[in-house]
Amino acid sequence: MYFALTDEQRDLGRTVRDYLADRFGPEQVRAVYEDAAGDGHPAELWKACAEQGWLAVTVPEQYDGLGLGLLDLAVIARAWGASTIPGPWLPTVLGGEAIRIAGSPEQQAEWLPKVAAGEVVLSIATRREGGDWTAAGAACTESGGTLSGTAAQVEYAAVADAFVTATADGRLWLVEAAAPGVTVVRTGGLDRTTRLATVTFADSPATLLGDDLDSLYGAAMVLTANDLVGIARSALTRTVAYDKEREQFGRPVGSFQAIKHALADLHVAVSMAEHGALYAAYALDSGQPDAVQAVHVAKSKASDVARDATAAMIQYLGGIGYTWEHDAHFAFKRAKREEYAYGDGAWHKEKLAQLLLA
Amino acid sequence: MDLSYNAEDEQFRSELRGWLEANIPREWSRPGFWSSLDREEAFALRRDWEARKAEAGWAGISWPTEYGGRGGTPAQKAIYDEETVRASVPYTVNPLGLTFLAPSVMVFGTEEQKKTIIPDLLFNRVIWCQGFSEPGAGSDLAALSTRAEDQGDHWLVNGQKVWTTNAMHGDWIFTLVRTNPDAPRHAGISMLLIDMHAEGVEARPLKQMSGESEFGEVFFTDVRVPKSSILGPVDKGWEVAMVLLSFERGSSAMGQYTGFRRELDQVAALAKGRERFGKPAAEDPQLRQKLGASLVELELLKLHSLHILTAVEQGRELGFEASMTKLQWSEAHQDLGELFLDVAELSGQETTGEDFAGLDPLQHSALWSRSETIWGGSSQVQRNVVAERVLGLPR
Repeated sequence: MYFALTDEQRDLGRTVRDYLADRFGPEQVRAVYEDAAGDGHPAELWKACAEQGWLAVTVPEQYDGLGLGLLDLAVIARAWGASTIPGPWLPTVLGGEAIRIAGSPEQQAEWLPKVAAGEVVLSIATRREGGDWTAAGAACTESGGTLSGTAAQVEYAAVADAFVTATADGRLWLVEAAAPGVTVVRTGGLDRTTRLATVTFADSPATLLGDDLDSLYGAAMVLTANDLVGIARSALTRTVAYDKEREQFGRPVGSFQAIKHALADLHVAVSMAEHGALYAAYALDSGQPDAVQAVHVAKSKASDVARDATAAMIQYLGGIGYTWEHDAHFAFKRAKREEYAYGDGAWHKEKLAQLLLA
Repeated sequence: MDLSYNAEDEQFRSELRGWLEANIPREWSRPGFWSSLDREEAFALRRDWEARKAEAGWAGISWPTEYGGRGGTPAQKAIYDEETVRASVPYTVNPLGLTFLAPSVMVFGTEEQKKTIIPDLLFNRVIWCQGFSEPGAGSDLAALSTRAEDQGDHWLVNGQKVWTTNAMHGDWIFTLVRTNPDAPRHAGISMLLIDMHAEGVEARPLKQMSGESEFGEVFFTDVRVPKSSILGPVDKGWEVAMVLLSFERGSSAMGQYTGFRRELDQVAALAKGRERFGKPAAEDPQLRQKLGASLVELELLKLHSLHILTAVEQGRELGFEASMTKLQWSEAHQDLGELFLDVAELSGQETTGEDFAGLDPLQHSALWSRSETIWGGSSQVQRNVVAERVLGLPR
């Protein structure tokens, strides 16, 4: 019985956090945030991701990857969330997972070494305009090997080299950004730690990867859940630190029970969400019989707790928490976007109810 | 990460399961069996059966063998908790003695105390009560005022304890008393071991909202307690109590998880069979959300237990995580009780037996869960502990 990260996984987390603390701190995050017109894709950070192997984690060794698992990716995702790190790391990793899970050996040989080396940016374009992202509402229709349709809220589409999209039958396709008929129109976004766009495919040539949309979504839910628990833990830690120092009525505000009890409840909830997000990664990786349930538990709790912890940060910092100058809103907005990405708490609870009532 | 138990632990599980299957009377799992019994009769049945279980070696799972324990691993204790709930083994009649007193005696007891108290506990020859709370000392335990005066060859005890589990069945009570009224309030307390059959000890039942009288009040009027009947040093009772309470730390909540998870399945089944707004209740989106939420919190309780178990096996100090465990299971169970009542609607408000005797187990659980966020440190006290001891917020 060992329900914890290995020493190697802890070291990986430490390496990522140390790098971010040294080289991509709050100032760099803010620079991306303030530059609304920019591509939100800092070159130095991307280079580090490639050099450090953070894009190669689950890429098999034969394709120049590290051959590790979802749990190792989860460690990075958590550090990413904790510091609200921008850039197309997650969509690229997920695109790589789609190719690894569903692609042919030829497709893997063509794409995965480039993913591992940071030579390509990938993104997931499965969300139909209007919001539905489940298989039945998948973005595209297929006709003779070409795809047509519109995908909304596609992350980092403007810098992507290829998109993973889906048809309503659950099949996954790869479309290169340079292919005929592909149009990318950037949109704004509340959360500027990412960049969003609408991507239109018009009879665009596509290659079929396979029929494993559910597996891709499983990985997406788990990694998003881990990013969310990273956000939540960091928000709580910062709130606690502030409320130990900030004095009102002649005493630290953190000494008031109204605040203490709220933060204690959050600590319990965040700790539970951390367990859930870790277990889901392990369960998917090792094919546990309760993997599907574990993913829904993880994303449900992570979505709810990140919303609550970032909202609490704004509330318990007082006025300063609502200012543009303070970073609290980075975390709040990222948590909000990720709450709805790949199913919010209510969506996943409905899925769990289906399991219970089956 | 590796969530499998090792071969030895799995062997333990299969032996235990085999023994339970062979030794639990079949009728015990018949719905309504326990509620059909007279309460005294039920208690006696539990007491005897538990003693036989101990004789067969299925007690004191992780206690050292020198004290009659099984010398098992923390994982085996978690497996035991899980399997006994799965097999519908009735809850122990000696919970406070087993959880708190026995391990404390191993730390603080004299050789004589170790040799008598522990085996008597294991075989239910003695039912132990805990005498901590008083009318004026609940969450603020150090405000206790039961007095023990040094009379040379004995202590003379006067005062009152309350919320005493098993008060009416208790044989002995480990009791916090004030031995030095002039010392600062934490410094003048001792832990006396008092024979509840002694002259001047009177137990009275307290009827709970569930209709039972598991709790009671214990009155001490000029009770003479031998000087040797003390656990730990004089005036060091607070320290003894803190160590004693720490034994709940590191205990996993696998037993609670297993029981609550089964209740959730029962609630889900009930939802399928009832109507709401002219449709099956199981189709009601609000109830479905609550069912999903309950499953989330229970599965997280299980993972939290595995986390605790891992920490214990790695020899890590657990500190105050027990407060988190308590908050998670007690609050999740209370929400589950509320969910059952929502699904059952008015039918859940109806009883069949006389004086609450025939309560549906889910009805009983929904009522009982209201006590779970109070006893053993209320949720509010637990939140203070988490805020101050874990997060380091100022007092």
